[in-house]
Order: sequence, then structure tokens, then C-alpha cells
Amino acid sequence: MKRGHQRAVAWRQAAPVLGALGVAIVLLVGVLSRIEVHTDMLAFLPAGETPAARLVLREAREGSATGLILIGIDGAPVAELARISRSVAGGLTRSGLFAVVAGGQAAISEQDEALLFAHRYLLSPTTSEAAFTVPALHADLERLLGQLRSSAAPLAVRYGLRDPPGAFLAAMGSWIGPSRIRTIDGAWFAPDRDRALLLARTRAGGMDVPGQEAASAAIEHAFATANPGGARLLEAGPAVFARDAARAMRTDVHRIAIVSTLLVILLLWWRFRSPLVIAAIAVPVVSSIAVAALVVQIVFGAVHGVALGFGVTMLGVSVDYPVLMIGHRKSGETAAATRARIGPAFILAVITATLGLTAMVFSGFPGLSQLGVFSAIGLITAAMVTWFVLPPLVVAANLAPVAAGSAAWLGRIEALRRWRLVGLLPVVLAAGWLAARGGPAWEDDLENLSPVPAASRALDAELRGELGAPDVGQLVVVQGEDDQAVLRRQEALIPLLDHLKAEGLIDGADLAARLLPSATTQEARRAALPDPDVLAERLDAARVGLPFRPTAFGAFVAAVRASRSMAPLLPADLSGTPFGARLTPLLFARDAAWQGPIALQGVRNPARLAVALADGGVVTDGVATHREADPGLVGSPAAARNAAIYVDMRAELSHILSGYTARAWRWLGWSGVLVLAALAVGLHAPARVLRVLGSVVAAMLVTVAVLTLLGTRLSLIHLVALQLVAGVGLDYALFFARRQLDAEERARTLRTLVTCNAMTLLTFGMLAACQTPLLRDIGMTVACGAVSAMGFAFLFAGERPATGVPRTGSNERFG
Amino acid sequence: MMGSVAERRATFHEERRFAALTEPLESTGHLLYRRPDHLEKITDAPQAERLVVDGDRLSLTVAGGPTHVTDLAAQPELRALVDAMRGPLAGDTAALERAFKVAVRGTKAAWRLDLTPIDPRAAKLLIEVRISGSGPTMREVLLVQANGDTQYMSIEP
Repeated sequence: MKRGHQRAVAWRQAAPVLGALGVAIVLLVGVLSRIEVHTDMLAFLPAGETPAARLVLREAREGSATGLILIGIDGAPVAELARISRSVAGGLTRSGLFAVVAGGQAAISEQDEALLFAHRYLLSPTTSEAAFTVPALHADLERLLGQLRSSAAPLAVRYGLRDPPGAFLAAMGSWIGPSRIRTIDGAWFAPDRDRALLLARTRAGGMDVPGQEAASAAIEHAFATANPGGARLLEAGPAVFARDAARAMRTDVHRIAIVSTLLVILLLWWRFRSPLVIAAIAVPVVSSIAVAALVVQIVFGAVHGVALGFGVTMLGVSVDYPVLMIGHRKSGETAAATRARIGPAFILAVITATLGLTAMVFSGFPGLSQLGVFSAIGLITAAMVTWFVLPPLVVAANLAPVAAGSAAWLGRIEALRRWRLVGLLPVVLAAGWLAARGGPAWEDDLENLSPVPAASRALDAELRGELGAPDVGQLVVVQGEDDQAVLRRQEALIPLLDHLKAEGLIDGADLAARLLPSATTQEARRAALPDPDVLAERLDAARVGLPFRPTAFGAFVAAVRASRSMAPLLPADLSGTPFGARLTPLLFARDAAWQGPIALQGVRNPARLAVALADGGVVTDGVATHREADPGLVGSPAAARNAAIYVDMRAELSHILSGYTARAWRWLGWSGVLVLAALAVGLHAPARVLRVLGSVVAAMLVTVAVLTLLGTRLSLIHLVALQLVAGVGLDYALFFARRQLDAEERARTLRTLVTCNAMTLLTFGMLAACQTPLLRDIGMTVACGAVSAMGFAFLFAGERPATGVPRTGSNERFG
Repeated sequence: MMGSVAERRATFHEERRFAALTEPLESTGHLLYRRPDHLEKITDAPQAERLVVDGDRLSLTVAGGPTHVTDLAAQPELRALVDAMRGPLAGDTAALERAFKVAVRGTKAAWRLDLTPIDPRAAKLLIEVRISGSGPTMREVLLVQANGDTQYMSIEP
């Protein structure tokens, strides 16, 4: 009977806590199932402030190169690899998800060949008046005779007699391009190893996550159904990276969420010995993540995976609030009494931490803004729930820390503060060392912030080299008011590109004008074609001494006659053909202008290339000096070059990024001023402001010094993490800095803060073991910062114990 | 009747006739066959050339220029020519019958094969291949192209 009563009481106590937790969990699950999670690093970047910056960022996000997937198959005998490759290519083509699948079948379709053959004299770069003179024709016929003697005679009969100058082969060469690829049994192979190669371009853009997931599933399915045996499938390309990074991030986030939650629960169990306390602490934490994710989704239209992963770890900070509340409650105390005792420090801690984060919100950098909004909303929600919802629950369940026991150990620990001047030593050392080396090292390469593992990037470079595929992010962008203007401007650049290739600065360039010359150029070539009767006479003269019959070249003369009245081939004529699919990504209309990106291959030294291009008249520092193309200047080669911008995507993105990072650091300075103001108002006494702020600044200085010592280059990621360190450090310092507390309360504070610190260490320590570099950096910084924040807050923010009689707190005052 | 030797060397004399030329083009060189599917045709005069077929892989080097590698699987017309040469040497009648309608005439001492390609793409270019020989030795090969061009090769062991 009595036990039944106890159980009923226990249930009455527990019900509100469990009910509130249930509501919070339902809210979180509901929010997480609704939000749209993005994982592409580029979604983290700003939209750009200048037209050129916008162009760069848009190319990086949705340019044709983003849909390119490079596929390698190795680890089996050559014949087997060829069979698998053909089967995969067939599967991909049948899936209908790819605009281009290339892997060894005839490089040019019959339909394309007929079109190219019919227009050969307008399309071929070899067409000129000189090509149709008697000596040139005589040389052509001698070469043709040599081919007829060889085993390639069938080809000579098929093409050579109808086209002695070789215009068709030259035009086809432009389309196929030089390649180091070997073809074995109908499949492409890498030049120096037994690896089958395929190239696919998705119909979906690189940023179209569901589209890329479908394409990726199609590739894996095609490979699996090819009976690959022991062969290995390798994939690379921007879309593949985005997918892999997303997967790695998901794995990381799941693991952290589970492991760090378990660790925090274990710690709290050890500290409070009550499942109900843990449930109560979870209420503000869970609801803060739910509300933060929801607000970010509403404000930004999506939640970035990094913000979410970061938000999950935020429980390492927001969990401090309920722990501080419950940890400071005396058993049997009313809600109001606990709130009154910790109120000023608690409120000031929340205000300053949030002020510190608002800097990120207004940094103008979408990724940072998201992190800032997520963190600020999360902190405020956790604090509000802790302040308003938690105390009644805690009182109803009568939750409090396990009896504080003897506080005798407190004096011994606090005695350490007598040595606090020694504590200044690491701070001075850190500041001195950083000053001596001219500040910390800064990260200026976006690649190093990329969530893509270095091994994947190396594979990409390898496959790209073997396939001769253009580098992502090495472009010369040519613009014009219509497609013909773009083609004419590109033609003006061809000599420069050939020169760069000869110099070894690039391996090649893929451009629309090489595939389809401008109408002007085609008309000029048409005008260079001789009258058919004249041509027939010259052929008669050219075949003197050679065993060709007078009738041998009838088809050739007829083709020249037809070409003389042929209209130039226009981009519109190619729509719907395989040629059209090849041309579209290289020549397209966007924003009322035509764009002709020239994809550069094998760029090894972007800096030297930039100089060479600048010498050739191409604008290279596009972001700074870009001008819109002036239609009035069309025609002159110099003007055409001015409409071309060299874009080293990697450098440009890094440039854009560093601009924003610099701004974010400035904002951090301003938010420091805001925090200072809040502290001045909240703490009154300048000495306490100095001690509180000093301990936080000391922690940040030492953290930066330690990171630099470990060889870390600071980036905006560390900036974000340092904001968190500041938030945590302020919590510690403000609670230590409360005035004139009795020993029992000081013991409660110390115990509670050590608990908070241990939780932060556990969660962020886990983060430091992540695969995603971004999360790893945050983990390292916060773990390191939290330890030093705890140390300095204890040493500097708390009062130095009186040397005489230990005070017992009867006259508690708050300020 | 054919293909009893693992490796065989022979010299050849070739005469090609083209509708576009007033006179035939002649050349000489030697052949090397190794079981099961390696075939080399080395032309010495008047223009050096090296044609090597291994399985489905054909590589051609003309007058010291770059080597062109072609995949026969993607080129039925070329493959028909190679099969016509290699089948009798390998004694692989099955391979011959996959690619051609085969008519056999004569005796073991003096035989003749008339081959007509089955693949429609090959048939568009190649009308007929006639091969004659005695015992295990191929003596003559005549290719008749659809446009009337012919290629005649006589082989001396």
C-alpha cells in the first residue's frame, strides 16, 4: 500500500518532466522531417556582389562542368574491363539521365558524320585559296596515292577521293580533339594503366541534389548489373564530391549525435544520479535544436548540413543552461529562489553569448548567417525554456544535485587562485609569440575548407588527366550580345590559345568556335572556294605524272560546287543532334547575353597562365575590373579580347571568401564591443568587467596560439568556433564572478561549471574526430578553448580567497 | 585441309586495282601468322608498312608514322577482311562461317574457298573473297569490292 503510494507520488512528480520532454521530442522530429537539408559547400557561399563574382559563383554552382562525372573501372583483366565498361555505358545511355555518355563507341555518330562531311569546306580550318592551287592539290594527290598503297586504302577511297585536301578529317579533328586515350575492345582505356574510362554528363545540374542522387544510383546500378566480379568502380566530378561529402557529413553527424549524447547522459548520470534530471535537462536542449532548425528553414529556405551538424553539437553549450539551473538549486527550494540566486549571472551570460553570435548573423555570408541564426536562436530558446519552463518542472519533481557534502575541498582548490599571476604567464607567452610571428596563419585556399577528402580530389585529378577532360574552374568566359558575336570573339582568341598550348601552359581548350565557326568565318571560307570549272582544270594539272584517271575526282568537284552556294551552318541547325548536345554547354544564352565558356585543360600553373593571358589581352582579375561587354566594340580583336575574362574559379572563390572572412572578423570585433557594453551595464564594477572579459580574451588568445602551434591555418570556421568559446567562457566567468557567495554556493558553482566544461569537452572532443574537416576544426577549437576558458575563468573571474578567516556567506548580494 | 601449323611465315606479292587509277599498285612483303589469332603483314616495298592484328585489335603503322590502333569489333567491314585472312590460317572454319557464306571447291591438293560476307555493313563494301591453296598452304587471295576495286595477293611460303 505504502509502496503503491510512493509509486504514485513518483509518477506525479515525473509526469510533467516526461510530458514536456515528449512535446519537445515530437517538435524536433516534426521539424527535422520537414526541413530541407543542403550539403553543398557552395551553398554556403554568398551570391556575389559584382557581376563577375556572381558569374563565377553561378558557374561554380550550375555551370556545365558541374554535371560531369568521370568514371574509371579497374582491378580486372583488360578484356573483362572492356566488357564491363561497354555494359555500363549501355546502361547509362538507357537510363535517359545523361546528356552525354562517352566511353569508346565510335567517337562520332553516322548522323553527325554526314552533316560534317556535307559542310566540310565551310567548317574546316584548312579551307583557304592556297589549299586549291595546283601545287597544293598535287601534294594532296601524292599523299592520296600513298594512302591507296597502304592498308588504309578503304578509307582513302571512302573519303580521300571525294576530299583530297582533307577538310573532313581536319573538321572532325576539331570535334574529337587530340586524346591520349587508348581504345581496346570498344572501350576507352587510360594511357598508362589498365583502367577503363567513361565520361558522362548528367542532364541534371550539379546542384540538383535529387537529380544527382538519381544519376549516381543509375551508375551504381549499371555497374552492379554488368557482373563486375572483382572490378572496382571509381567516380569523380563535382556532383560525385557533393554526394560523397553529404554522405560523410551525414555519417559524422549521426555518429556525433549518438556518441556525444550518450557521453553527456553518462556524465549527467554520474553528477545527478537521476534519470529524471537528465530528462529535465533534455527539454531545453531538444526544443532549442527544433526551434533553431525551424527558424533557419523559414529564414533561409533550407538548412545547410554544416549548420545542422554544428547545431547538434550546440547542445554542448545550450545544455549548460539547464545544468546551471538544476546544479544551483538547493533541495526543496522554490523556483523563484533559485532564479533569484543565479538570475543576474544567467541572464548576462545569455545576453552576451547571443550578442557575440549576432555578429555572424549580419556578416553577409549566407553560411555564417545560418550558423549565427542557428546558434543564437538555439541559445535563446534553451535559455528561455530553462528560465520559464524548467523551474516548475524541477520543483514538481524536486530535482537537485546530490547533497553537496563537505565543502572542505573547496578551500584547497580556491587556494590555487593565490597563484593566479602565474596564470598570466601562458597568456603573455601566447600573445608575445603570436605578435612575434606576425599574427596567426590564415587560410586563403578554399579547397582546404572543402568538405571533400583529399583522396577524392586526387582521384579526380588523376581521372581528369587520363580522360583529357577540362579542369573544373579553369575558364575563359567570352560573352556577346548573340551567339555569332561570341563565336567571333572566340575565333579572335584561338591564336592566343594555340600559343599557350605551344608554351605548355595548357594542354588544350574546349570551345564552341572550334566546333562551329562563326557565320562570318564560314562565309569567308566559302568565298575562298574556286569555281568548279577552274578547279577541274587545276586538278588536271595537278595529276600530271600521277596515275589518277581524269574522272577520279568528280565527287570532289561536285562537293565544292555545292559548298559555294551552301548557307553557313548555324547553332540552331544543330539542335537535336548529338553535335548540338556537345555544343550547348559551350554556347548558351543567359540573362539576355550569350556566354561562351572556354574550358581549359591541363592548367598546371594558374599564376603563369594568368600573366600570359593578360599579355594576350584577356582580363584576368575579373572580379576587380570586369566590364560588361560593349556591343559597339564588336569586331576588332582587341575589343573581342576585352570581352573575355579568365576565371580561375578556385582563386576567385578564395578571393571572394577571404573578403567575407575579413568582414566577419571585423564583425567579431564589433560584437566584442557590444559584449563589453553589456558587461559594463550588467556588472557595474569596472574591475569585474575586466576580470570577466580578461579571462575570456585570455582563453581565446591561448586557443589561437595553440592552434597556430599545431600548424592550423585560421579560417572562418575557426572564427565561428571562437565565438562559441567566447560564449562558453562568458558562462564560466560570469558564474565565478558572482559576488560574496557562501562556501556551499561556491562549491555548487564549481561543481556545476566543471560538469558544463566536461560536457563541452565530450561533445566537441568527439567533433575533433570527424572526417569532415569543417567539423573537425570546430571541434578542435572549441575543445581547446573550453579547457582554457574554464582555467582562466576560475583563476581570474572568481574572487581571490581572503588570506585570513574564511568567509561564510550570510550576506549574499547580487550585482 | 588448312591450319595445321602453329606459326607460319610467307612472302607475298600484292596487286591492287582501283577505279580511280589508270594502273595497278603493286607491293611486296611478308606475312607472319601465329596461333590462334596473331597476324602480321609487313610491306617492304615500295612503301614500308606494318599491319598487326591481335584478337580484335588492329594496329597499322605506315611509313614510320604514328601507329593507329583500331578495334575490329566496331568495324564490321574491316573485321570481315581480317577474318577472311585469319580463318583459313587458323583452320577455324566455324569463325569463317560466322562471318561469311562459304563455298568450298576442288581437292585437298588444290582447293578454293568463295566467301560472301553476311554482315550487311560489310556486304555494302565487300562483294566477295576468293582464296585458293594446296594442302595446309594458302596460295592466293582475291578481294572484290563493291565499287569494282580489287586486291589480289599471291603467297609464297
